[in-house]
Amino acid sequence: MNFGLSEQQEMLKKMARDFLTTECPKSLVKQMVSDERGYPLELWDKMADLGWMGLAFPEKYGGTGGSFLDLAVLLEEMGRACLPGPFFSTVVLAGMPILEMSNETQKQEFLPQITQGKLIVTLALTEPGGGYNVDKVTAKAVFDGNDYVISGTKFFVPYAHVADYIICVAKTTNGVTLFLVDTKSPGIRYTLLKTIDGDKQFDVVFNKVKVPKKNILGKEGQGNIQLREVLRKAAVAKCIEMVGGAQQALEMTVDYVKDRKQFGVPVGAFQAIQHHCANMLTDIDTSRFISYKAAWKISEKLPYAIEAAMAKAWVSDAYKRVTKLGHQSIGGVSLMEDHDMPLYSKRAKAAELALGDADFHREVLAQELRL
Amino acid sequence: MDFGFTPEEEKIRQEVRDFLKKEVTPELIAEVVEYSGGAGPVHGRRIIQKMGARGWLCPTWPKEYGGINSSEMVGFIIRDEMTYAGAPVSLVGATMAGPTILRLGSDELKKEYLPRIARGEIEMALGYTEPQAGSDLAALELRAEDMAEARAAARGEVEAEDKGDYFLLNGQKMFNTHAHFADYHWLGARTDPTTPKRHRGISLMVVDLKSPGITIRNMTTIAGWKTNEVFYDNVKVPKKNLVGEKNRGFYYIMTALDFERMFPVGSFRRIFDELIEYTKETKRDGKSLSQDPVIRQKLAEMAIELELSSLLYYQLAYILDKGEVPNYQSSMQKMFATETAHRLADIATQIIGPSGQLQTGSKWAPLHGEAELHYRWGFIETVYAGTSEIMRNIIALRGLGLPSG
Repeated sequence: MNFGLSEQQEMLKKMARDFLTTECPKSLVKQMVSDERGYPLELWDKMADLGWMGLAFPEKYGGTGGSFLDLAVLLEEMGRACLPGPFFSTVVLAGMPILEMSNETQKQEFLPQITQGKLIVTLALTEPGGGYNVDKVTAKAVFDGNDYVISGTKFFVPYAHVADYIICVAKTTNGVTLFLVDTKSPGIRYTLLKTIDGDKQFDVVFNKVKVPKKNILGKEGQGNIQLREVLRKAAVAKCIEMVGGAQQALEMTVDYVKDRKQFGVPVGAFQAIQHHCANMLTDIDTSRFISYKAAWKISEKLPYAIEAAMAKAWVSDAYKRVTKLGHQSIGGVSLMEDHDMPLYSKRAKAAELALGDADFHREVLAQELRL
Repeated sequence: MDFGFTPEEEKIRQEVRDFLKKEVTPELIAEVVEYSGGAGPVHGRRIIQKMGARGWLCPTWPKEYGGINSSEMVGFIIRDEMTYAGAPVSLVGATMAGPTILRLGSDELKKEYLPRIARGEIEMALGYTEPQAGSDLAALELRAEDMAEARAAARGEVEAEDKGDYFLLNGQKMFNTHAHFADYHWLGARTDPTTPKRHRGISLMVVDLKSPGITIRNMTTIAGWKTNEVFYDNVKVPKKNLVGEKNRGFYYIMTALDFERMFPVGSFRRIFDELIEYTKETKRDGKSLSQDPVIRQKLAEMAIELELSSLLYYQLAYILDKGEVPNYQSSMQKMFATETAHRLADIATQIIGPSGQLQTGSKWAPLHGEAELHYRWGFIETVYAGTSEIMRNIIALRGLGLPSG
């Protein structure tokens, strides 16, 4: 076993840390909550110049051929920085399934643009009243002889307002199917949702939106099976982001309690605070190991359904616990909106509810354990 | 990163597993429980001698002392398998005293004790705790008087003549598990009562438990097995039995704990596997327990916590094999694994229902009464070898650099 990163990964981590510290300070993150686009274009372009969008894609599609584990290193730093923008949706929710499920023509059409940061893509799966059960999709796609016509309402579609394409999950007569929908098509309407962390999530209504047959992603009617894989991988990626956030929340807390004096001593000298911090570190180390174990298995092309469910179940609860204890240890000042801790406590809740919470993944795990 | 095992590691795991499948009997398991997880006098000693003959008891040691020069990872794998099978794994000589002798002991000590430990011929008992020295180990008072110094002082000399001399021990130890069936006491004693820095007056030594003047009195724990009070009344201990330098014992003990504080969760993976089978086979209101959504949630949570305990466990081997000393990580693993184990036993009794409290041997006792037994045992595990609270102190102070209070 080897619990450490490779030398190259350590370099990538340091580079990402330095870049995001300079280019994505907390002031920017807070400012972007009220920004219409939600992220600065210059930041997106600089990330593209660094090759981040193409990190885990093959060279023939403009990527650098890195592994999922390499991507994980980057995602952890993004979670630490609370990076706003469509990276996760474009690369993880859309780019990965396109790489794995699309035909060569589609790959040539989409991937070089995604890896260069020139195309923004997102995923429209969940529906009002529904969750992450991919069999329960109600959006319909009807074949009219030439095209598929999609109707239905999706929500929690990240960065739909800037997306060039949306992967829309809808049911044809053959079952659940994934469609690459050009957002310039008539009949698409977005409404911004007011989320806990101000992340740009949209309600998207598809009203008789025409999609050419060639834009079916993967096999018609087998989208539910393929989606499970997409969501499983995305859950692992989300966990890695969460580990980065939790780590930053802990460091922020530790720095403060070493410094802040009450009763004549640093509050970090009190056992109550020390035990809070010890519990935070325990939650983070355990979250890190299970998340990276899942990421490693993905990289090695080993079955990882058990680890993915374990990770999302554990980290969903653990990240929340970490931010709660962070607030509790720092006290009053951390409850102010201009403090950095609320960025993390709000993201912990949003991330918990994304891609299935702990109860959801414990049930998935129970199935994987053949209970 | 690599979360897998090498083919060589898998091979030895399989060999150990096959061996244990043949050798572990119900009689052995019962004896292991009776002797607090240690190697009891009949079956326990027999199996650890067989393991010792294969070099599996102290695999990381050099061949000359009975090891096979293996990595720490292999040692951790073997212990994991031993606990899964129900073999004795609480081995003071092999996993606590022995490694310290190997690091710090004189050649004479090494030759005298290590091969016998590695062959499973002798066992030791930890002798740290005293009535007034629990979590605060530096408060220990059992007095080891350096008789050479005492006589020199009586003659008005400054320097003691050391040759052929001994320590004279007086005082009391408490909660010294294994003392009633071990051969030697791995003892922390106060050699300098005058120093204002309490940590600096303690020495570590090996004491033959058959020495005249030692009285052992049993105490019965909540888990049914026995631990002991050990009384020292003018007990003579040869000076060659001193481990490392005089008055440095406290630091040796603390460092040793970093190396040795770990908690394999094999036995709990076994209980978990049995519990899963039980929930599949047992029907309530016409449905298997395993179909109950609440039970599924609880079992999934335990599967996760066991996996995490295991990852924390193997991380220690990874750190040791890098040539580093686990620092806060051993405390974290001990705390997390023992708390997980206690929770598992608790949940197992709840899932079983009213029969969850039935003891081994009782009519209707499911899982051979293991849920009930480990529920009691869990209280002990979260306290002994450092309470969960002390573990959290260590994580905060050493892992995060928080100021000491």
